[in-house]
Amino acid sequence: MSLKTILLLIPLLPLAAAAVAGLFRNQVGRAGSHWVAILGVGVSFFLSAYVLYLQVFGNLETLNYSVYTWMVSDGIRFEVGFLIDHLSALMMTVVTFVSFMVHIYTIGYMAEDPGYQRFFSYIALFTFSMLMLVMSNNFLQLFFGWEAVGLVSYLLIGFWFKRESAVAAGLKAFLVNRVGDFGFLLGIAAILYCFGSMDYSEVFGQAGSISGETVSIVAGFEWQWITVICICLFIGAMGKSAQAPLHVWLPDSMEGPTPISALIHAATMVTAGIFMVARMSPLFELSDAALSFVMLIGAVTAFSMGLVGIVQNDIKRVIAYSTLSQLGYMTVALGVSAYSAAIFHLMTHAFFKALLFLGAGSVIIALHHQQDMRFMGGLRKQMPITWITAWIGTLALIGFPFMSGFYSKDSIIEAVHASTRFGSDVAYWAVLLGVLITSFYSFRLLYLTFHGQPRYRVDVGAGDHPPDGILQHAPKESPLVVTVPLILLAIPSIVIGYMTIEPVLFGGWLSDAIMVLPQNDAVAEVGSHFHGPVAMVTHALGTAPFWLMIGGFVLATFIYQVRPSMADQLQQKMPRLHRILENKFYVDEFYQSVFVRRVINIGNGLWKKADAGLIDGVLVNGSARLVGTISERIRLWQSGFLFQYAFAMIVGLIGMIAIWVMLK
Amino acid sequence: MPIYEIVFYAFSLVMLAGAVGVITVRNPVYAALCLVLTFFSASAIWMLLEAEFLAIILIVVYVGAVMVLFLFVVMMLDINVAPLKEGFIRYLPVGILVAALMAAELLVLIWSKGRFEAGAYPLPAPNPEEYSNTKAVGEWLFTNYLLAFEVAGVILLVAIIAAVALTLRHRAGGHRQNPSHQVRVERDERVRLVKMKPEPRQGS
Amino acid sequence: MNSTNMLLAAPELWVMVMACVILIVDLYLGEERRGIIHMLAILTLVFAAIITLRADYAADGVREAFAFNGSYIRDTMGDVLKLFSFLILAIVYTYAKFCLRQFRMFRADFYTLSLFALLGVMLLISANSLVMIYLGLELISLSSYALVAFDRDSRLGSEAAIKYFVLGSMASGMLLYGMSMIYGATGTMDLGQVAQAVRSVGSDDPLLVFGLVFLVVGLAFKLGVVPFHMWIPDVYQGAPVVTTLFISSVPKMAAFAMAIRLLQTGLVDMQADWSQMLSILAVLSIILGNVAAIAQTNIKRMLAYSTISHMGFVLMGLLPGTAMGYGAGMFYVIVYSLMSAAGFGMVILLSARGVEAEKLDDFKGLNQRNSWYAAIMAMVMFSMAGVPVFVGFFAKWMVIKAALDAGLMWLAIIAVIFSVVGAFYYLRVVKLMYFDEPLTEAEIDAPVDFRAAISLNGIMMIGLGIFSSSLIAVCMASFGA
Repeated sequence: MSLKTILLLIPLLPLAAAAVAGLFRNQVGRAGSHWVAILGVGVSFFLSAYVLYLQVFGNLETLNYSVYTWMVSDGIRFEVGFLIDHLSALMMTVVTFVSFMVHIYTIGYMAEDPGYQRFFSYIALFTFSMLMLVMSNNFLQLFFGWEAVGLVSYLLIGFWFKRESAVAAGLKAFLVNRVGDFGFLLGIAAILYCFGSMDYSEVFGQAGSISGETVSIVAGFEWQWITVICICLFIGAMGKSAQAPLHVWLPDSMEGPTPISALIHAATMVTAGIFMVARMSPLFELSDAALSFVMLIGAVTAFSMGLVGIVQNDIKRVIAYSTLSQLGYMTVALGVSAYSAAIFHLMTHAFFKALLFLGAGSVIIALHHQQDMRFMGGLRKQMPITWITAWIGTLALIGFPFMSGFYSKDSIIEAVHASTRFGSDVAYWAVLLGVLITSFYSFRLLYLTFHGQPRYRVDVGAGDHPPDGILQHAPKESPLVVTVPLILLAIPSIVIGYMTIEPVLFGGWLSDAIMVLPQNDAVAEVGSHFHGPVAMVTHALGTAPFWLMIGGFVLATFIYQVRPSMADQLQQKMPRLHRILENKFYVDEFYQSVFVRRVINIGNGLWKKADAGLIDGVLVNGSARLVGTISERIRLWQSGFLFQYAFAMIVGLIGMIAIWVMLK
Repeated sequence: MPIYEIVFYAFSLVMLAGAVGVITVRNPVYAALCLVLTFFSASAIWMLLEAEFLAIILIVVYVGAVMVLFLFVVMMLDINVAPLKEGFIRYLPVGILVAALMAAELLVLIWSKGRFEAGAYPLPAPNPEEYSNTKAVGEWLFTNYLLAFEVAGVILLVAIIAAVALTLRHRAGGHRQNPSHQVRVERDERVRLVKMKPEPRQGS
Repeated sequence: MNSTNMLLAAPELWVMVMACVILIVDLYLGEERRGIIHMLAILTLVFAAIITLRADYAADGVREAFAFNGSYIRDTMGDVLKLFSFLILAIVYTYAKFCLRQFRMFRADFYTLSLFALLGVMLLISANSLVMIYLGLELISLSSYALVAFDRDSRLGSEAAIKYFVLGSMASGMLLYGMSMIYGATGTMDLGQVAQAVRSVGSDDPLLVFGLVFLVVGLAFKLGVVPFHMWIPDVYQGAPVVTTLFISSVPKMAAFAMAIRLLQTGLVDMQADWSQMLSILAVLSIILGNVAAIAQTNIKRMLAYSTISHMGFVLMGLLPGTAMGYGAGMFYVIVYSLMSAAGFGMVILLSARGVEAEKLDDFKGLNQRNSWYAAIMAMVMFSMAGVPVFVGFFAKWMVIKAALDAGLMWLAIIAVIFSVVGAFYYLRVVKLMYFDEPLTEAEIDAPVDFRAAISLNGIMMIGLGIFSSSLIAVCMASFGA
């Protein structure tokens, strides 16, 4: 099997699996559909891993080739093509691995759901779309993958379409992403306009040529083209990667089934924006303004979303806000030109965040779809595997030494510290304080869920839908299909950072995909102090992030373990702060009152006056009526009488003779 | 050669009159006969062009076979003509208008553009004595127009198939005889030999 | 050029022989073994395709080859159109077997007549002389008339057949008259020589223009464009759905080839004239087809009007007289045939036990009855409406682009506007399928070969859209574009 066949198979196998599980769902049945999907994604994972292996140990060169030319219009080629370098190979492997784990986990989580086959079909389709996105060598395919993952994401958020909140969340995700995609599309259009090409290598090759050119969008203000392009592209990334202020859809997306939260809304899809910016580094590097913008957005997200996470009671929402915050970290890294650090954090985060979500899912199964942490507690005895893996995930998340998150997050903080970009000092404080917050809400989650006394009651005769806090059966450890993925995800969560920090971050392993100008290279600055992963730990013990992390731990332990009543007291002492956080900084309310309500009002006005009166009344109904009338007339001509038909033909003939023979 | 032209115009006039007759006379039998007359005149004109073979074929096939069959059908079917003429008056003005337009266009074309003057089309030179029109048609049919000839044959075959497919029916309960069954009949199917005691003659 | 070279026409000879073989074999088969006829017919098509693909003439880069003293031509366009005719006819047969069985009309006549019609299609595609064009056309027409009247107990069918026959004969008469004018002006039947003669006579010869008008009328009737379209709705509706399925797909490709042979090979110097004629016909068809389709409640009739508008688009590809335009027209006609086959295939699928599902309402709530079939129909409708990604979009796009390149802005604008009008009635079908309650909960059942064929046909709508470039390239290469 040639390498190109393998590369083609990697996305096509999940697609085929999705087709089989979706189209022939009645034929293959439940077991058939999960076997097909797992097999497709599993083989795809092993092939991706093989490609990565070839790149790491086999010196496989970067592949950039066109698979299929869709069409050529005015010299612009629309094609499907693959760009396989270290960046895409790494992404492919991470995506397929997490997807593979989630597939297995889903067998247990969705066991009783009537939409079982549909679900497998969707997640396999998602894997295909995501692979197309990361493997792309051109903007068109990138956009295709971008929209396709979005589509599957909306479908899956609204998977339980009988729940009204799920449908609303799907709609919200759709609308917010439209805002981002609008920017993204503008960016691509600007690239097409400036470079006349959709191909990465061509665009990047010419990137320098437009660095001085400006455009005047608002009269009097000259903008650099490159800045406009980068900011437009980044707006797309803000939508997909849920950066403030376009983050509002992600917490609501938790309405979807938990495996989806793990796969799409934590590990892979939401990182597409990060990936995209890293991929576009040859463009972003040229615009300091755009990078500053990226960095500040990231910093705001990283800090504020973590704060909101502290007051959430829904276990999945806490993790969702944590995801937002971590995405903020990655974005900050992008903003200081530490693209490789962002990708590194993306990878480690994919593992430990998927682990945390799946762990939360395991708890949710055990508690019969109870997600409120106020009705949990003490689960460590009943669910030891989930408990231990959740601890591992948490330690990784907060950046405990030697865990994977430690290496990636510390590198980011160091890089921000080393950067000289405008605003990087603000960003540094944001990410630094973020460590404390992260540590605090993570341990809060852990304590509320697994430690302390149970805050639920087991009542066998409680009926099918008992009120909150009452369970029909005692919670027990989840089945193997759930716990095995947890264990398999826990392993990389511990070791992947230690093993790969040196090559990925400082070894220049990603340099075939990522371009950093020497004067911006914060990672190299950090790397100059790097003397191996162990030395990094010993060094970190004396720095602020470590002690902030410990501080968060101590604070959480004190409040939630030692004096549980203190949480409520604090809440009462600081009602205003709590209310702000509870309402997530009123962003949703702001949108609701400023955009949604106003748009609805404008829409209503337009609808009543312009639409109903002018457009409906005159244009649409009028033209519809006109078309209808003409249509009816034609029906009259079509009388069914043979002689009339013959007559029409003869009239046509005579007319044609008159025009072309007589008049010429 | 005035005799040539006299014959040509005479037969042309008869042909046109016959053609007009086909579409104007009320009785279908007369119409068919008018068509025969038209064919006949056309054949005579072909004869003038030394296309003897075609002229004979036209008489033999169309007049001799096709039209006779046609007459036969017309007589058998006993079509009631009256309903067919319904609306004739109503649509007559429109019909005449269209026909007049068509005629006007053709006349304008013929007279104005100069392409249809008699001089533009000289009479073909007469063929030599030994020239055989039949042989020439045969040669062309089986060389240059072989494919066309064969396809014409296929078209006729399709016509037969179509006719059979659309009209052949096996009606349920029809009293049809199957000759092959009749021929293959065995004695045992028709005659039953019965053994019985001799009956004493009555009244003896 | 002056040899018979009969082997070149091997595909035609094979189809003719097999049609006769099937005719005879049927005599020895009982009702219950009719399936053999179906298998034989499919086999015929498969081997015809294989024979066509073994195009020995093209070995040394030769673009075209002649046989039967120049009255028969093999070229890339012809071969591609023939191959698609085989493919579509095979699909048609698969749909037809199921339908004929259900309607208790499973007779071999359908197969023989349609194979003879296919022979006519092939001959017309390969015709290189006026007389072959006429004969090929007549062979198709005669078989089609019989096929329309195939259901002998249907009054509507007989009526449609009579209408089709009378109007068709009229159109044939006009075509023949036009041909005699062309022959009179040029003195030859061979299209290549016609082209030379036109050059020497001059393209403004009134006799030629006069003949051209009649030729275009004959052509317009065959394609079914306004105002020579009147037969289409009545025949499509009156004929049994299997016949509609057939006559709406395969013969259209022959009609396209006929236009190419007559106009591009024979009368290329008169392009200025016929281009104007075709543009009027195209505009009228696109407008009338799309507008009239809206008022229809019968799906066969709706698809009939949609055919009229599609043929307008095909003409739009032809009329600029550029290689790009011809290629676009060819692509359109192939795509149209595939879409039409799928559309009528769905009508057959929904026809339960002897009742044709010809009302639009029969599609109500199809999604609830069977979501896959609803998805197929939706894809067909999207494709016909010209929604991007689906193959119909590329077909429309190509012809509109050809018109734009030729500077026919007004034509392109009208085409776009009425495509949008047309999208309304296609999407209405989608709306019926997905948002209305079904009238019946009856299970939709079909044999496995039918399901395979309709799935394939449906997936082509999007598959050919995504991978449209190879087919487009083939079509363009046929005309050296």
